[in-house]
Amino acid sequence: METLEILEDGLFAAIAAIGFAAISNPPRRAYLYCALIAALGHSLRYILLNHPYFAFHIVVSSTLAAFVTGCLAVLLSPMAKTPAETCLFPSLLPMIPGIYAYRFFGAIAMCLFRSDESNFMHYFYLMATNGITCLFIILGMVIGATLPIFIFKRISFRATR
Amino acid sequence: MEETESSNLEMCELLADYAVRLLGSGATCIRIEKNLTRIASTWRKEASLTIMPRHVHLTLMDSGGVNAVTVISRNVKSAISYDLNTRLSRLSWKIADEHIPYKEAVGLYKKAIAPRGENRWWVLFAVSCANASFCRLFGGDFVAMGVVAFATLCGYYVKQTMLEHKADSRVVWIVCALISSVLGATAGLFGLGSTPEVAMATSVLYLVPGIPFINSFSDLIDRHYICAISRFIDASILTACLSIGLCGGMALMNMGMF
Repeated sequence: METLEILEDGLFAAIAAIGFAAISNPPRRAYLYCALIAALGHSLRYILLNHPYFAFHIVVSSTLAAFVTGCLAVLLSPMAKTPAETCLFPSLLPMIPGIYAYRFFGAIAMCLFRSDESNFMHYFYLMATNGITCLFIILGMVIGATLPIFIFKRISFRATR
Repeated sequence: MEETESSNLEMCELLADYAVRLLGSGATCIRIEKNLTRIASTWRKEASLTIMPRHVHLTLMDSGGVNAVTVISRNVKSAISYDLNTRLSRLSWKIADEHIPYKEAVGLYKKAIAPRGENRWWVLFAVSCANASFCRLFGGDFVAMGVVAFATLCGYYVKQTMLEHKADSRVVWIVCALISSVLGATAGLFGLGSTPEVAMATSVLYLVPGIPFINSFSDLIDRHYICAISRFIDASILTACLSIGLCGGMALMNMGMF
């Protein structure tokens, strides 16, 4: 795991966060915070996933990274003068397990068109593994990211004051 | 007494409209409740709010539960706007901190909800770059990124145009997923780059309704179960439409998945 790879991961996560933030029409000043928070959160997940000594499972890595992303969003939102969700949710979107979701839906379609048992069981297995992984990543991410809003309620709901 | 009832009704109508707009802008239930209660308590009123999938019920009363009035407002379907969410949240603090009376608050509210046009070309460009970056994060090469950027550009342009013409969002999702997946499949069809499967998979990911999913879990944690389930089902239906479009695109391009 090289520093360059971590920086690249952070850079593309930042671009993704800016783009996905644009869909939800945030105040202009929020873009910078979204990019920063997404870069830090996604890089952390990359490190947790790929560290040679303590490589975590993707569900654990995503949950921990989402929690840190949530804390950063809550703590920085008073500076951005926006609700914490404005910075948090777009920053979280680059972590969404799109490939697992794609494989899950693809496997469902393949199950439909395979009538022989061995092929069907193979695609059913792919559907189950990808679906379960996708579900738990999303659950971990959402719980990890949302908890800081409730833990730091005083900061979260006073950011626009 | 009549004057109090009349002003309670006016206040209640304003606050119900405030709640509906905040909900439409993508705010979580806890934020809507907190903002609303903050304004109501500044005006020395008690507010009780029920957020339903299609309506918001708001009861406003004087301290002690007298002169209660209830207003039911129909939810407005609108695009998520954190800019509006920020302006409305800031307004609630302004009213509370500066003890702004109702009559003055009406003007400030109208100013806060005045439409501010977003630059659709900037959004189109940003979303295309974002989805291409997403492709890179999933291990796609630069060719796949280019294909994804183009597929997203075309799909998102169609999405903007169809939504402008008030098309049903479910139809929009199916059509856009179909267009983007067909274009995303060109990397595999023409043997472009070394990661065509990543291009195909990520070409439709800009359609994943991430914010409604996250909002639904946030509402769940705060025990707003009805709203949480409603948002979850809405987001799941859009995801299902995305999958239908994606499968249609794969079938058209005769692409296998595994």
